[in-house]
Amino acid sequence: MSSPKKILIIGIAGGLAQMTARLILTENPEWEIIGIDSRNVVNVPPLKNLTAINLKYSRGNFENLFRTHHFDVVYHLGRISHSSNEQNVLAKRIDLSVMGTNRILELCERSGIKKVIILSTFHVYGALSDNSIFLTEDAPLRASIRHPELRDVIEMDQICTNWMWKNQKSISTVVLRPCNIIGTQIQNAMTRFLSGTIALSPMDYNPFFQFIHEFDMAHILYKSLDTVPTGTYNVAGNDFISLREALNVVGTKSIPFPMILAGGMNEVLKKLSINVPDYLLDYLKFSCLISNNELKKHLGPNFLRFSIKEALELIKLR
Amino acid sequence: MLNLNHLLLSPEDEQKITHLFQELREKYRDYKDPWGFNIDLCEKAVRKLLPVYRHYFKVRVFGAENVKDHPYIVTSNHSGQIPIDGMLITIAFLMDVSPPRVLRAMVERFLAQLPFLGDFTAQTGSILGDRANCSYLIENGESILVFPEGVRGISKNTSDFYKLRHFSEGFYRIALQKKTPILPVCVIGAEEMFPFVFHYKKVAKLLKVPALPLTANLFPLPSPIDIYIGQEIPIPEHMGPEALDKDIKENVYHIENSIKRLMITGLKNRRPFIDPIRKPISKYIIKEFKGKS
Repeated sequence: MSSPKKILIIGIAGGLAQMTARLILTENPEWEIIGIDSRNVVNVPPLKNLTAINLKYSRGNFENLFRTHHFDVVYHLGRISHSSNEQNVLAKRIDLSVMGTNRILELCERSGIKKVIILSTFHVYGALSDNSIFLTEDAPLRASIRHPELRDVIEMDQICTNWMWKNQKSISTVVLRPCNIIGTQIQNAMTRFLSGTIALSPMDYNPFFQFIHEFDMAHILYKSLDTVPTGTYNVAGNDFISLREALNVVGTKSIPFPMILAGGMNEVLKKLSINVPDYLLDYLKFSCLISNNELKKHLGPNFLRFSIKEALELIKLR
Repeated sequence: MLNLNHLLLSPEDEQKITHLFQELREKYRDYKDPWGFNIDLCEKAVRKLLPVYRHYFKVRVFGAENVKDHPYIVTSNHSGQIPIDGMLITIAFLMDVSPPRVLRAMVERFLAQLPFLGDFTAQTGSILGDRANCSYLIENGESILVFPEGVRGISKNTSDFYKLRHFSEGFYRIALQKKTPILPVCVIGAEEMFPFVFHYKKVAKLLKVPALPLTANLFPLPSPIDIYIGQEIPIPEHMGPEALDKDIKENVYHIENSIKRLMITGLKNRRPFIDPIRKPISKYIIKEFKGKS
C-alpha cells in the first residue's frame, strides 16, 4: 500500500470493525486508526495505532474529530442494527443511521476525505415471493413494502448512493451490500439463529441463502480501500445453500415449524421480548439471492477464502 | 373397470425412467439450481405420475420428431382449471420426446408464495415467471415452458373452452434477447377435465386469488389428452429485444396462429369423451378460425 494513512472507523465496538482494523494495521503497521462508537468501547482490543473513543456521531464533538485529525479514509460501519422493532430503538436508528449518516457524509465532503467505505446490507432488497434470481445492484429496494420499520435501512443506503454519485469526481465512495455475514465475533440475528441450541425450521418453505464469513467480509472492506472503485456492490460468494442444509451443516437441532403460524407466534413472543425480527420471517420463506458480478470485476472470480460450508462450520466454534 | 396394473409402471417405463434419470443426474452433476430443483424428487414424482399420464389421461404425443437438441421456449395454450396441462407437457418432454429434457415451467407469482406447494413446484423444476429467471435458465442450456395466456387461459367458463386468450408478449422479448427458438405446443382434452365451470371473478378478487372456479366435479375427469408439438419457429435475426410493440405483436400473433392450427388438427382427431359438449365447441372453434383466416 502507499503512504501512511489516517483512517476513521465508525462503529468500532462491532466485531467486524475490529477485525477490519486489525487487518489494516497488520498489513500497514505505520497507519493510524481512530475508532469511534456510540456504544461502550472498553472491549475494543488494544492495538498499536488504534485509538477507540466512545462518541455519538450526531454530537458536536464529532465535528471536532474531523478538524483535529486529517483523515484520508472513512469507514462507516456504524449503522444501528435493524433487528429490533421496538419504538424507542426505531427512533434511535433513524437518528443515528439516517441523520447521523447524513452528518458523516457532510463532514467527509467538507474535510476533503478521499475515500469513504460504507457498509449497507442486502436486506434493502427484501425477501419477497417474486424476487428474481441473483438481484443486481440496480434492483429496486423493496424491503419496506412489507416492513415499513426497515425504512431507515433503505433511506441510509439511498442517502449514501446519491451522495456517492454527486461527489464522484472528488471522493471515491464504495457502498457494500453484503449478504448474511456470519462468524463467532459478529452479533447479528442470522448468526444467533443458526448457532442457537435449537432453531425453528420452516416445514412449508425452504429458501436459499448466501453467507459470507466475517473474516472474508473484513478482507473485502480492506480491499475496498485501493482495489474497488466508486460504486455500489453486492457482496456474496458464488455459492448458495438451502436453509435446511445450512442448519444441517451447522448441526443445529431444527424443529420443523409451519411458517403459516410463525407470524402469530411471533406476536406472542414479542410480549416476552424473545421474538425474532418480523422481516427475518420473510427470509425464512422466500429467497433473496444477490449477484456478485460487479464485485468480481475488481476482486477476481474467487475472492472469498471460505466456502459457504466452511463459513457455516466455523460458527460452530461460537 | 379399474385395472390395478394401471397403477403401476410397466417394465419398459420402469427401465426407461431409471436410464433417463441416470443421464439427467450426469447432466446436472455440476449444476446447482437456485430455486431448489431436486432431481431425486423429480424422479419420484415421475414414477408416481407416469401411470396417471399413461392410463388415466391416456396421453398421446404428436410431432415429437420436431424437437431438436437445443434449448427452446416451449409455448403452449393453457387449459383446464388447474395447471395439469403443464405437468403433462413436462412428462411428455421427459418420456416421449428425444432428446429428453426437464422443462422448466414458468408459474404464477401467486403459486410461488404458497406454503408447501411453492416449495414442491420449485423442487420439481417450476420457477417464477420472470424475465431474469428465464434468461438465467436459457443461459444454462435449459428449455422453458411458458403459457402466454397466463391465468386467463385456465380460468375460463365452459362457453370459452378452446378459445385462445390474448398472448402476453414478455416471453417473445426473452426469446429475442437470448435468440432462442419458440416451440409451439397445443394440448387438446384438458378443458374437459372440468367440463362445467363458472368463475366467480368478484369473489376471486376479494380473496386475492387469481381465479375461483366453481366446477361440477372436484376431481379432474379422465379426458384423453393429445399433445401436439409444432415446427420450431426461429427468431428473426434482425430483431432485438427492444423492438417496437407492433413488431413483437406481429410475431406473437404468428405463434398464436401456429397453436390455433395445431388446435384445429387436434380437435378433428380427438378421441370420444363427453361428445355432447365437445362436438358443438369443436365446430364453433373451427368455424371461427376459418372465418378469421
